Amino acid sequence: MFNYYLRLARISILKHWGLSLLMILAIGLGIGATMTTVTVNYLMSANPIPHKSEQLYYVQLDSWDVNDPFDEGQNPPDQLTYTDSTNLMKAKKAFRQNVQAQAYAVIEPNDPEILPMIVNARANSADFFAMFDVPFIYGNAWSNQADDNKELVVVLNKETNEKIFGGKNSVGESIRIDGNVFQVVGVIDHWQPKPRFYDISTGAFNETEDIFVPFNLIAEEKMRMSGNTNCWKPTGDGFEAFLASECIWTQFWVELKTEQDKDDYLNFLNAYVEEQKQYGRFLRPMDNRLSTVTQWLEVQEVVADDARIMMTMSFMFLIVCLLNTVGLLLAKFLGKAPEIGLRQALGASKSTLFFQYIIEAGCIGFAGGLLGLFFAFWGLIGIETLYGDYMQNLATLDLNMMALAIAISFFATIIAGIYPTWRACKVQPSHQLKSQ
Amino acid sequence: MLVMKNINKTFQTGNIQTHALNNFNLTVNEGDFVSVTGPSGSGKTTFLNIAGLLETYTNGEFTLDGKDVGQLNDNGRSRMRNEKIGFVFQGFNLIPDLNLFDNVDVPLRYRGFDAKERRRRIEENLERVGLASRMKHLPSQLSGGQQQRVAIARALATEPRFLLADEPTGNLDSQMAQGVMTLLEEINQQGTTIIMVTHDLELAMRAIRTIQVRDGRVSELDVVAEKASA
Repeated sequence: MFNYYLRLARISILKHWGLSLLMILAIGLGIGATMTTVTVNYLMSANPIPHKSEQLYYVQLDSWDVNDPFDEGQNPPDQLTYTDSTNLMKAKKAFRQNVQAQAYAVIEPNDPEILPMIVNARANSADFFAMFDVPFIYGNAWSNQADDNKELVVVLNKETNEKIFGGKNSVGESIRIDGNVFQVVGVIDHWQPKPRFYDISTGAFNETEDIFVPFNLIAEEKMRMSGNTNCWKPTGDGFEAFLASECIWTQFWVELKTEQDKDDYLNFLNAYVEEQKQYGRFLRPMDNRLSTVTQWLEVQEVVADDARIMMTMSFMFLIVCLLNTVGLLLAKFLGKAPEIGLRQALGASKSTLFFQYIIEAGCIGFAGGLLGLFFAFWGLIGIETLYGDYMQNLATLDLNMMALAIAISFFATIIAGIYPTWRACKVQPSHQLKSQ
Repeated sequence: MLVMKNINKTFQTGNIQTHALNNFNLTVNEGDFVSVTGPSGSGKTTFLNIAGLLETYTNGEFTLDGKDVGQLNDNGRSRMRNEKIGFVFQGFNLIPDLNLFDNVDVPLRYRGFDAKERRRRIEENLERVGLASRMKHLPSQLSGGQQQRVAIARALATEPRFLLADEPTGNLDSQMAQGVMTLLEEINQQGTTIIMVTHDLELAMRAIRTIQVRDGRVSELDVVAEKASA
């Protein structure tokens, strides 16, 4: 009977195509608006590394001004000083640890035909790649030794390797960066965690970097940092003084396998801060924190409040669209009262008829869902155009979102169809048959 | 066999009660052709609706083929309608969006026949009413008489024990009405029990029995003697 009902639904939808189109349009608009905002929220709040997000911890130490707390005292500073990061690195107390900062550089390709290019760079530790499961096409990460020895090594992303080496295996090749000759040790595949959790301070939805170099090269002034820097007291003159200052500009991640490891590491951090207090630092009350990836995204409010409000409003808009659909379905189904009466006379029970007309409502919902996907696609392009780079990695509908759009549309329309169908099935067949 | 004993049907509109049927008694035997006449508002359509399980009654006893209709729920009544009763209406009541084949198919779908059996019955019954060649036509492409024939084919497709006809010739000219009436007589001769409501006394007289309904009760039984014995 299901196929029969589908055929009846098709006939009915085509016969009353104007009314059907209005309903599909109403649902499509509602679904389009809803899916646009749901997609943005979904991608903003997605767990970018679900299989190990509970083992990766972002480190915070409260090294800030005793009289003027960071973030009004709600949270310790969101980055670490160079002094603290390098001290924690040297201690090597975690299974893996990574200090990092954003940087930029100019690449001068060997091929004179290719113009020099400014690239975004990430200065990080060797463990960065293993911690964050960065996929390699060629080669590997550099070694911890290379970090310690401040070797001039670089990992390129796929696009940069395309531009400079035409996409070939460039491992072992030399490349001039900011006037220094670096050796390529690896090329990574396309990698774009959403959100880009490993560095929220420079934009949770920015693109990943073009090249990756050892963090220690910043101190050697062979790489220029470019991320956010916050200071609460003067730094003194010169780069050495800046490195030794209380300015925060580095991010520090550790990978800890168990809860016990986490507790141990927190104890280590507390001991470290106690030790630093003896040097006149860390004057504020102890507030060291280890946040998992999801906790860190939460703390940093990666899902903006206005995105949540937009999503709520779009759901309300969907409800309004569905209420319109209820009215239109009611008009359509009550218009079919004579046919419903006749079908009852010919042996259809109320439940059979209810099923038939609910399927018709479901078909309209399905079509509305498809149209809604089309609207959502354009809605996301609109949002990308409106917000620019900030949204460029969020304005995509994946398969999950497409399935969700169809499911919401289908079930919402079925719910919207319950009342009209129930009303229509309540008709007294004898009245309808006589009045025809 | 259809047996109604002291059937009452009361409609309530605000404070006003209308007794559409008032101690209505009737027995229709297997193979009968009963015509029901009576003035407008006498209750003959209400009787037909109750007989066809399209309406419930207020009280009384009603058995259809030995089954107490009052005990049936909506599903049971629907099943009984589908299996035992065929309807022919004054307004034909064909579904305008479906072609003749699909119109006749409707009750067969609810019966749950497989596709092969449905096709056989549809073709056989459209053939029986002389419209087999127009299976793919829409009702709007047929004359009134032809539409009524399709309605009869639809009613017969499930091989019902009872055929209930409410003014089956009311919308037809006299020539078409004669044709439909002849068809009903043939159907009755083949064993189907027919109950026909009509205003047309001439047509009513062609039934085996004629009853008159007045003020919600049968006022006169067997006005015309059994035709078969005549």
